[in-house]
Amino acid sequence: MNTHTVDTGTPFIPADAYDTAAFYAEADAIAIVTNATAPDAVALPSEDASTAELLAAAREAGHRAVPAPLAETALVARPLLRCVGLPVPDGPLSYAIAPELTIRYAHPAASAVGSAGSSGDDDTLLVTGTLRRVPWARSATAVVVLATAPFGPVLFTLTPDQAVLTPGGNLAEEPRDDLYLATLEIPASRVRRISPELLDEARLRAALARSALIAGAAERCVDLTVAHTTARTQFGRPLSHFQAVKQEEARLIEETALVRTAVQAAAPLDFGGPAAHVAIAAAKTQASASAAEIARIAHQLHGAIGITQLSPLHLATTRLWSWRDEDGDETYWARRLARPLTAAALWPTLTTTP
Amino acid sequence: MSPSTLSPTSTLSPIAFPDVALPESARRLRAEVRAFVDEERARGTVLGRPDSWLAGWDPGFSRRLAERGWVGMALPTEYGGAGRGFLDRYVVIEELLAAGAPVSAHWVSDRQAGPSILQHGTEEQRRFFLPRIAAGQCFFSIGMSEKNSGSDLASVATRAERTADGWRLTGTKMWTGGAHVNDYAIVLARTEDAEDKHAGLSQFIVDLRASGVRVEPIHLMSGEHRFNAVHLEGVDVPDGMLLGQQGDGWKQVTGELTFERSGPERYLSTFPLLVSLLRELEQQPATAEQLAQVGILTARLHSIRRLSLGVAAALDAGHSPDTQAALVKDLGTRLEGALVDTVRSILPTPADPHATPGSHPELLAFALLHSPGYTLRGGTNEILRGIITRGLEQH
Ligand SMILES: Cc1cc2nc3c(=O)[nH]c(=O)nc-3n(C[C@H](O)[C@H](O)[C@H](O)COP(=O)(O)OP(=O)(O)OC[C@H]3O[C@@H](n4cnc5c(N)ncnc54)[C@H](O)[C@@H]3O)c2cc1C
Repeated sequence: MNTHTVDTGTPFIPADAYDTAAFYAEADAIAIVTNATAPDAVALPSEDASTAELLAAAREAGHRAVPAPLAETALVARPLLRCVGLPVPDGPLSYAIAPELTIRYAHPAASAVGSAGSSGDDDTLLVTGTLRRVPWARSATAVVVLATAPFGPVLFTLTPDQAVLTPGGNLAEEPRDDLYLATLEIPASRVRRISPELLDEARLRAALARSALIAGAAERCVDLTVAHTTARTQFGRPLSHFQAVKQEEARLIEETALVRTAVQAAAPLDFGGPAAHVAIAAAKTQASASAAEIARIAHQLHGAIGITQLSPLHLATTRLWSWRDEDGDETYWARRLARPLTAAALWPTLTTTP
Repeated sequence: MSPSTLSPTSTLSPIAFPDVALPESARRLRAEVRAFVDEERARGTVLGRPDSWLAGWDPGFSRRLAERGWVGMALPTEYGGAGRGFLDRYVVIEELLAAGAPVSAHWVSDRQAGPSILQHGTEEQRRFFLPRIAAGQCFFSIGMSEKNSGSDLASVATRAERTADGWRLTGTKMWTGGAHVNDYAIVLARTEDAEDKHAGLSQFIVDLRASGVRVEPIHLMSGEHRFNAVHLEGVDVPDGMLLGQQGDGWKQVTGELTFERSGPERYLSTFPLLVSLLRELEQQPATAEQLAQVGILTARLHSIRRLSLGVAAALDAGHSPDTQAALVKDLGTRLEGALVDTVRSILPTPADPHATPGSHPELLAFALLHSPGYTLRGGTNEILRGIITRGLEQH
């Protein structure tokens, strides 16, 4: 093997280089979620905020690449806990929808009716299995788990220290940790039997939260791209003066407006209703399906600087690529959206709202 | 980390569209229109065809619609309109397009000529034209484009020379939809030579049956006759038929285009083909892949509809959201074309113009032959994208 001596000389770093290291160093997740006075904090909305306010906060979190589970806490975990009447712990929360867990009664009834474990003296559970890629599990105060017990769907909470945590991350290096539960006992006080509808609501909430984050990251791509194409010149003119650049930039703007509006459509709806189902399935389908185009154009127009950590663009695009797959990708939600459609139902479905 | 540049929920950022909540009255209106469409379907006039706002010419249908108060419905009652807002009108026209109803006879009068005469016309013009438009008895064409004035519309060469009691128009308008069957055209012509080519343009209401008007058919590649070249061979237009102020033509035309670009006709032209596809898929269970593709199209339709409604709401509130309208037109018309290709790939079917009218292969052929026009009419998408980026950079 040849050895080369490479003289790197003075490193070329643009004057306005973005400090990625500082961004990740600042990733004191908990501080940002819980302490609204932290620099550049996006405050966790209050518990009685409307869905529209929660979505706006989630979009803001996506826009700023907030290193904390703000959307997960505000739009998913807290409302679910409130629905079932469990206390809402302070701090960042996470969730896992995990039908694959093995769940038994910790105290099976002596005279069980039906198959073993189908009834218990109380709802204290023994849970075994792995919760995969739980967002921010390592920094969450509690994880809300939705699963299927022998007696039907349940919701329970656990703290990350009760599990064996294997750290993981997505393309944006946001924590996505596996939690292994080894016959973990969950006291009945932390278990609630839930309806299948609530299990579905959890999926819808997670998908909507993720869509709002995507909308925010998409807007970041627009802001950064417009700033770049107006500031950078080639052939003596700003990039934004070239027809070909305008064409691409307009598509980026359009795709972003489309996602934002699709998310917004769900804001006034009641989570249980059929209208919310359509609006959220459409929003996540659209958000996930648009992510590729948004990231592609933003990178193309940034030129080489965009593929480095010198530009903050990566904060947005790596999240777009991750979030489009999380909580159901576009194929999953597109099928859910399409399954009930017939020739006669299509137009009425599209006009259910507003 | 840099401070956030996320714009606040300013309603008119090109990205943030206003939220829309249709009033309860719109729900009732929608049901009434559906009932009307059902009646007409039973009569055999609503055929569920794509691009019905270009190709579905049926003056009888337009008149029956007008009897219900659904033509010129946003015009004030004193001029024979229904005095209802843009959102009510939106509900009516989207129902008609989704059903593939034959609306092309009154489309331009309802969408452009009416609002334009209301805004710029003299009292005499309003009293004469608006009640007729609202009654479905007076149909308009748009005479903007010319052979050498397409994207660069300000380069129009048709001239209007002053005469004793009016104007004499000379020139040739191109792509004039419906000029062979309509009553009038609003013609953009040069009234003065000016340094700035946007100045010195004026609009005229031209009687298409006046002497000196020669309408020459231009056939679409499907063979249909929808378009014409309109030769204006010294056409005398009385003073009273100047529309708006002399020299304001450019401003008036660009104002009109916001109405033209953002409506449901910009994403629903090929919607009836998707309905037809679902009808086909009801014969055999859809595969997972087919479902996914239908879902993706549906999500996009759903999302674009929200944008389009956002523009309608902004218009209703008295704004002129040109950037947003351009954005809706680009997104929507690209979907119209993509829908045709996607439907074809979801259920591979050879397009066949000779198949039974209304059958899936025939509708596919019809939509396909019309498809190149979607992204051209109303200003090409390339030009619109220039408007969009300028809009955002200025924001
Ligand atoms: C179905 C249909 C109905 C129509 N109905 C009417 C009607 O009723 N009345 C009427 O007046 N007109 C009508 N038109 C005409 C329509 O408005 C014009 O076709 C349109 O404005 C484009 O003009 P053009 O065809 O001359 O193309 P051109 O302007 O020659 O453009 C050709 C191509 O070059 C691109 N291009 C041109 N300049 C630029 C630029 N500066 N930057 C980037 N790209 C550029 C265009 O986007 C296009 O892709 C209709 C057209 C269609 C297809």
